[in-house]
Amino acid sequence: MTQTRIKAKLEKDGLPDLDDQSPEAMRSRLLFRASQTYLARTPPMQVIAMRIGGIVIVFALFFVVIPLLTSSGVVPYYKLNFLGKYLCFAIVALGIDLIWGYTGLLSLCQALFFCLGGYAMAMHLSLKEGGGDVRPEYHNIPQFMFFNNLTTLPAFWIPFKSFTFALLAGIALPGIVAGIFGFFIFRSRVRGVYLSIVTQAVAWGAWLLISRNEMLMGGTNGLTNFDKTMNEKPSWIIGLYLLTLVVLLASYLICRAITRSRLGKVLVAIRDRETRLYFAGYQPYAFKVFAFAVGAMLAGIGGMLYSPQVGIITPQNMNVETSILMVIWVALGGRGKLWGAIFGAIVTNVTLSSLSSDLPSLWLYVQGGMFVLVVLLFPEGFAGIWASAEKQIAEGARWGRAILTLVPLFAVALFVLMEALGLTPDAFRKVVFHTSNVDVQLKYVLLILILGLAGGTQVLLNQKPQRKEFAPSAAAAN
Amino acid sequence: MVAALTTDQPSPQTQIEPLVRLESVTVSFDGFKALDINAFSVGESELRVVIGPNGAGKTTLCDVISGKTRVTSGKVFFGGVETTKMRDAAIARMGVGRKFQTPTVFDSLTVFENMELALPNERSVFRNLFGSVTPEQNEAILTVLDRVRLIGDMYTPAKYLSHGQRQWLEISMLIVAHPKLLLIDEPAAGLTDKETELTAELLLELKGRHTIICIEHDMDFVRRLNSRVTVLDNGKVLAEGTLDEVQANEQVVEAYLGR
Repeated sequence: MTQTRIKAKLEKDGLPDLDDQSPEAMRSRLLFRASQTYLARTPPMQVIAMRIGGIVIVFALFFVVIPLLTSSGVVPYYKLNFLGKYLCFAIVALGIDLIWGYTGLLSLCQALFFCLGGYAMAMHLSLKEGGGDVRPEYHNIPQFMFFNNLTTLPAFWIPFKSFTFALLAGIALPGIVAGIFGFFIFRSRVRGVYLSIVTQAVAWGAWLLISRNEMLMGGTNGLTNFDKTMNEKPSWIIGLYLLTLVVLLASYLICRAITRSRLGKVLVAIRDRETRLYFAGYQPYAFKVFAFAVGAMLAGIGGMLYSPQVGIITPQNMNVETSILMVIWVALGGRGKLWGAIFGAIVTNVTLSSLSSDLPSLWLYVQGGMFVLVVLLFPEGFAGIWASAEKQIAEGARWGRAILTLVPLFAVALFVLMEALGLTPDAFRKVVFHTSNVDVQLKYVLLILILGLAGGTQVLLNQKPQRKEFAPSAAAAN
Repeated sequence: MVAALTTDQPSPQTQIEPLVRLESVTVSFDGFKALDINAFSVGESELRVVIGPNGAGKTTLCDVISGKTRVTSGKVFFGGVETTKMRDAAIARMGVGRKFQTPTVFDSLTVFENMELALPNERSVFRNLFGSVTPEQNEAILTVLDRVRLIGDMYTPAKYLSHGQRQWLEISMLIVAHPKLLLIDEPAAGLTDKETELTAELLLELKGRHTIICIEHDMDFVRRLNSRVTVLDNGKVLAEGTLDEVQANEQVVEAYLGR
């Protein structure tokens, strides 16, 4: 940015003569050399075209095509409702990417923050008039309290009657909890595996706290039966879906701004070599607390959008397994790439939900197999596939090769899209097999074959070292 | 300016305080005495070279000054302030910059971004979130990078740099940070002759502007720096003086060659 401006100015003024050894002239030449390097870095047109194309397709799909398909009846509303749920998870994944992908802190309590947001909103919805049930005795308290013979609302529930309070609490509470907790663990320089263990313990403790608290928090059953109308009215489903989409986009833009600021560089530096930062005068704990709190707030926002769409939130949503699964979303999508985290969250959740209904007895094996395959063949996750295609294009490879690279990414995206919209089984049944149940297994066999074949080809193709452009070029400077 | 005066004599309160002063400092690791220094001081704007055989305690000396290692007993002063119990980041903010034995830069960040993080006075979370590089800072970075011939690679992630370039990058990061004291641990290790030459030039350029403590093994390099030398052995100061004086010292010869 600064460099391009400098270059433009220098070109306007004209470069000083090479024989001119005055400090002014040396300075101009220095700035010119710098701007040259800057311009050499900007990606070629084809890569920019690839990016714009990708963005346009994704936007058109999520903002226009999918809502239209739903309202015209091709896609059932409950599928859109599910998709909205996955988008909530994508917001959580963005936070995890910030904490783990960029800062390198493997936090295993994100599901707790997710539930703080989720419960805040669920508490508010349970208190809305007629939320629990239409019978008058339920009007002022949630249903579960009535069953527990509670007749007056506990004090800490009262503020949740206000929507604004619930909204603020859902964002601020995770942030405050993460801030305080983070301050103590990061200041005492708890790192690596120890951090994961501590956060896991916290998640477990919170899970116990809520699931044992039947009187006040609904216990293991969680909060449910709130505002039923929401999940049934099509306008609400589409509205919540679009709201989630917009919030996801905003979260993405915020995370992007953070990672591109100098603070983002400090976060990456913490991941790379934290000790070096101490000797540069930084206090990494402050930055870690910041990333942790932002990640937690994003998780809280995701949770707040989750509970109205799903209609139930239980301590099951905050146990340790859920937190670990959340990290896997990001690992598959590509840590350290924001869109990768979103992609990973949607892909894993869609496959998880359709696998578990298609292959009730086998789905854990298939899911595990896919994780292993992706991690083996694409260690940088799905985002890494796109990055290597971009690199091939930038190096002047033919489009065919880049498209071949992108096959696994597209295959997974297509599969997930069809699954999410409920289009695959029918299509297979009608077009290929007429009436048969083979297609259910077949689609996974196909998916794994595509992933394996395309990944294998890539591994073979990329055997040759391709580091040419990174060779030290000290001579080029002068 | 007054460096030579203060280092020669033990300094009573009335005299000008040297920038770095160690007072009967010992450091033991599990009973092993890594450092046992009665008095060691480096004056303002001095370039001091510390040499000594392997395990003499050279790096531990740097660790003690920069706060990485706590002393077992004794006191450490920096600019007249006792830093014995201060945290490493706080000491760094007082103006102690450090270059490690193996070049430590941030691998996934580009050369320019590495330099950006080294800029002085930008250490708080919010200044980093909203701040950007000013044109002056930009130019300062470019000037240093040009000097160490890294300007053509300024958008290359540091992990792709050669060993010598990483050494220079780390030194450059120290230069833009403008610390009062530079602790430089073996800057010439693993460099080619040509690279060593440039490194020595860089240090000599810095000499007037910063106080430098440089640890080095390579005697040619030390000779080129042409500065006061402290010899450490078994954690103790064995000798101090010019390189020629020190090399003539029998104890030093013995320590290096073995008995």
